[in-house]
Amino acid sequence: MGGRGPAGGAGSAGAGLGGAGLGGAGLGGAGLGGAGLGGAGLGGAGGGDLHTLVGAYVMDAVTPDDRVRFEQHLAGCETCRAEVRGLREATARLAAAAAVQPRDGLREQTVLAAGRIRQLPPVTADAPAGPTGQATAAGGPGAGGGPGEPGGPGEAVGASGAGSWWRRLAGTGRPRSWVPRLAVGVAVVALAAAAGLGAAMSGAEHRLDMAQTRSHAVAAVLTAPDATMLTAQVLSGGSATVVMSHRDGALVFTAAGLPDLAPSRAYQLWLMSPAGPRSAGLLPAARHGMTGPMVISGLAPGDKVGLTVEAAGGAPRPTTSPILMLPLR
Amino acid sequence: MPPAGPPEPASQDPPGSAGPGGPARAGTGLAVLLGQVARGDEDAFRRVYDQTAGPVLGTVRRIVRDPAQSEEVMQEVLLEVWRTAARYDPRTGSPASWIMTLAHRRAVDRVRSEHSAARRELRAAVSVVEFDEVTEAVEASLDRERVRRCLSSLTELQREAVTLAYYHGYTYREVAELLGVAVGTVKTRMRDGLIRLRDCLGVQ
Repeated sequence: MGGRGPAGGAGSAGAGLGGAGLGGAGLGGAGLGGAGLGGAGLGGAGGGDLHTLVGAYVMDAVTPDDRVRFEQHLAGCETCRAEVRGLREATARLAAAAAVQPRDGLREQTVLAAGRIRQLPPVTADAPAGPTGQATAAGGPGAGGGPGEPGGPGEAVGASGAGSWWRRLAGTGRPRSWVPRLAVGVAVVALAAAAGLGAAMSGAEHRLDMAQTRSHAVAAVLTAPDATMLTAQVLSGGSATVVMSHRDGALVFTAAGLPDLAPSRAYQLWLMSPAGPRSAGLLPAARHGMTGPMVISGLAPGDKVGLTVEAAGGAPRPTTSPILMLPLR
Repeated sequence: MPPAGPPEPASQDPPGSAGPGGPARAGTGLAVLLGQVARGDEDAFRRVYDQTAGPVLGTVRRIVRDPAQSEEVMQEVLLEVWRTAARYDPRTGSPASWIMTLAHRRAVDRVRSEHSAARRELRAAVSVVEFDEVTEAVEASLDRERVRRCLSSLTELQREAVTLAYYHGYTYREVAELLGVAVGTVKTRMRDGLIRLRDCLGVQ
């Protein structure tokens, strides 16, 4: 979608940070912004074999790695993009044929929720899709978990029940283990450069897919002029790293070395505000020990990032003590 | 398997007018509506919802299965449409295709995580049977009938590959495993199948 289609949910790993991740020093060059850059595999001889992926690609039947490779291929092949367009129209018909009637009430609930969501401005010719516009593009409605919060759209999350432990924690209690924020302006720029973001941005016109928007959204936060980095130990093991931009009201969350959970459990990320906790979605499966990135937008002053272990499907509000509570300052 | 009816000749619809909820009719309307949505028009958003929520929910539900989660994903998709309507670029496809691509991706993202792996394996065990349901479930609507006929014009392997990927959210490797055929074959069949479907449906 021209690189500015709607971003995927924050909960999805997508084409995100590659192996190294934020917590360490470098972004994996391949992942971040890797979509569509790099000359490898563009058209030409190498493209032929890769191009047979087009069917699987338009049906999202590919791994994130495949997707990145294929999008690199697409970036240099207008014929291929035309084929993607045509096949997507065909899959849209498959979707139409599967239509069911949503239950009554969902529409107004959705419209109500829409009223609380700021719309992205159009991309203008003199200001192509760049960090500013994309920053908010990532979180998805309502910060990743968004209306997908287990509590259900439109519900006043955290208004009641759920014990008050989170209030205490969100209010004053604070794990000692987190490292105060580091000035990362320079570091982030360097990381972004290392990851090839410059090229990603300048080639934004040619992006065709939402996964790229997602990685741009990550990039947008990382490259925001006021980006700051926070790291903290997770009580149950591992560490979390947050890069946030106050200007964009968005952050990128990654974690490293989180202990594996039983299949019936999942890590759930929360935005803890004075008004209550808001789900930011379940953490995706770790790859090579790295989890994320997840982009959360719509931050408000006083928010904290929390992490709990919940049932695999997630919970409407935290049911266990947080293993991470990171004030965003 | 669907009855092997005669393949539908290329449809009479003008090309490029795909749109769920009325593929041959809704395309243009949706584009106009999206422009209004981009300007914050809630009534236009309601109309976009009316045209797309059904196909979005139906598609998501086939993949996600859980009805409550499916509703959540459907709402996420519609809200994403609201939020990013100004970024819709007609050069990349019809509005319906844009929205359905978003929906499908979200649904797949939702199920493709570690903690749902066990459930997926269970599903895999039964899905070789299940994919019949897709074509069995078609009802009397013209759109469904046309899709059904076009699906039945594919070879069996093409149809299985497309159905398992699109309606069940499997990767091509998983499909290869399920069908017991080579990965390369599955990739080719997915592409060939979609091309045949596209031509049969008369979309651009």
